[in-house]
Amino acid sequence: MSLLKPFSKLPGLCTANILLVESEEQFQQSLADALVEETAVTVNVRLAKSLPLPMENEESRPRIDLVVFIINLTSELSFQSAEASLKYLDPGYFLGKVCFMVTNARNASVPTERLDAVRKLAASLHCPLLFAEDQTPDGVTNATERLLTILKVAAGLVPMATALYLSNLTRCTVPPDIDQPSFD
Amino acid sequence: MDESTKRLLQRLIRRIPTQMLRTTLDKWGRLTGGQLHSMDFTQSKWALTEKLLAICEENKFAVKHITELEMIYIIDNPNQGMWYAFQLMDPEDDAHSVELTQFKEQFKSHLRELIRHVSVKMKKHTDEAVWIRIAWGDTFSRPNHMKPTYVVHSLQTPYVFVTSLTSKQKPLLSQALVLSTRYQAIKDANLSGRKLTAIRDLLMRQYHQVFPTRYPTPLAENNPAVSNQHIEREQAESAANRLQAACEAFGGGMLPQLQSAVYKLETKFRDHSNKTMTEREEPFRCVVKFASTNLLESLRHCASSGIASTPVTPLLSSIPLKGKNYFVITDNGPGPSSQMRQPQK
Repeated sequence: MSLLKPFSKLPGLCTANILLVESEEQFQQSLADALVEETAVTVNVRLAKSLPLPMENEESRPRIDLVVFIINLTSELSFQSAEASLKYLDPGYFLGKVCFMVTNARNASVPTERLDAVRKLAASLHCPLLFAEDQTPDGVTNATERLLTILKVAAGLVPMATALYLSNLTRCTVPPDIDQPSFD
Repeated sequence: MDESTKRLLQRLIRRIPTQMLRTTLDKWGRLTGGQLHSMDFTQSKWALTEKLLAICEENKFAVKHITELEMIYIIDNPNQGMWYAFQLMDPEDDAHSVELTQFKEQFKSHLRELIRHVSVKMKKHTDEAVWIRIAWGDTFSRPNHMKPTYVVHSLQTPYVFVTSLTSKQKPLLSQALVLSTRYQAIKDANLSGRKLTAIRDLLMRQYHQVFPTRYPTPLAENNPAVSNQHIEREQAESAANRLQAACEAFGGGMLPQLQSAVYKLETKFRDHSNKTMTEREEPFRCVVKFASTNLLESLRHCASSGIASTPVTPLLSSIPLKGKNYFVITDNGPGPSSQMRQPQK
């Protein structure tokens, strides 16, 4: 199985590489456009629909510092695709180099079980769970800023902070009564 | 002008949007320059109707002039109502040499033979299509101009497009068409839609076709423009393959706007987890309908984004391939339960 490994390549100077994985391939495009605007650091964005990544790009691919799974809560396919992609990541990534980003959480048609399932998944993997709004430019900007914060730490560009340390502070937790029926 | 003519004119003016009223009246050409000038197009529709009624009274127009105006409006705005496609079958030897005047005379005389009170108006459009307006009456009553049938036929093609036809009028129209075009039969082409231009373009393949090639050039210009050198798509090749397969099945560029596709299933129920239903002998009848503002565009997007697997299933690719949007699907025949279901018609 071709696992994506976190430390098998050398890092670039003042460079951060991020991989956005999204089954619908929509939000990742606008996020990518906003991410490369960053001036302090050179940000390289790789876009994928799902893992595993094709072998042909193995040589040219830089070291991926942060893998972001974008899940559209209105689509079950999106969640399943993200879940299936997880097994193609080397376990080393789950020490602060993976992040989940979820869109359309406020949509009325989203079943609560799906958000709970994403929460449980993120909590079990000790990863942060970010909520984003993808329809407006403001939403994209906000999501970009938060991703950049985590990315810079994951790429080792922030002194005195490591990805593992940050993930301990930001990781998703599930409330103990998550399986109780809520008042809807 | 009698009452029914006035009502016809009023209904027609109500139907034409004010922006198009001036151009339509210009094209009609029956109003004098002075009369056209005297109409103030910034007034309300009601006022315009009254003015136009007065002008038509002055000019002593009859029903045939009003129907002429209606026809001009419909020809310029054909994308309303439901259009149904028919196909002429089994041409006689001289079917291909039928020319316009012959067709016109033959059609009118055959239709008048079949039904005494009928009003037929035929007009040739600039793009070689013949437009026919038919107002139907019966043995005792005059033709009803409030519910005309419109028929569009391009000579040299076997296709006929019809709107507003009742089941009683259908055999009469079919007979007249078959005899005047020198074919032997006419059948329902199983294609319908709100836009005449769309169903015509679909049947006559007048949209951008994409053909399978052995060595495709990279579809770099079709992919979402990767604007920045820092952004890279990992699975660009498989995305390009999916896009190619989708365009081969449905076409490239702008696609004709179909609104729905209906599949009538008469296949046996197949689900191993449900024994009671699977054991039944009779077919499980159900109807599946796909609806969208632009169905072919949606289906192409399904295929190119991976929601529908490529190569595209023949059930969906038959829509543009056969030019139909109504299918009856029956089982392939006796034998071990296979997963492939063939469209039968």
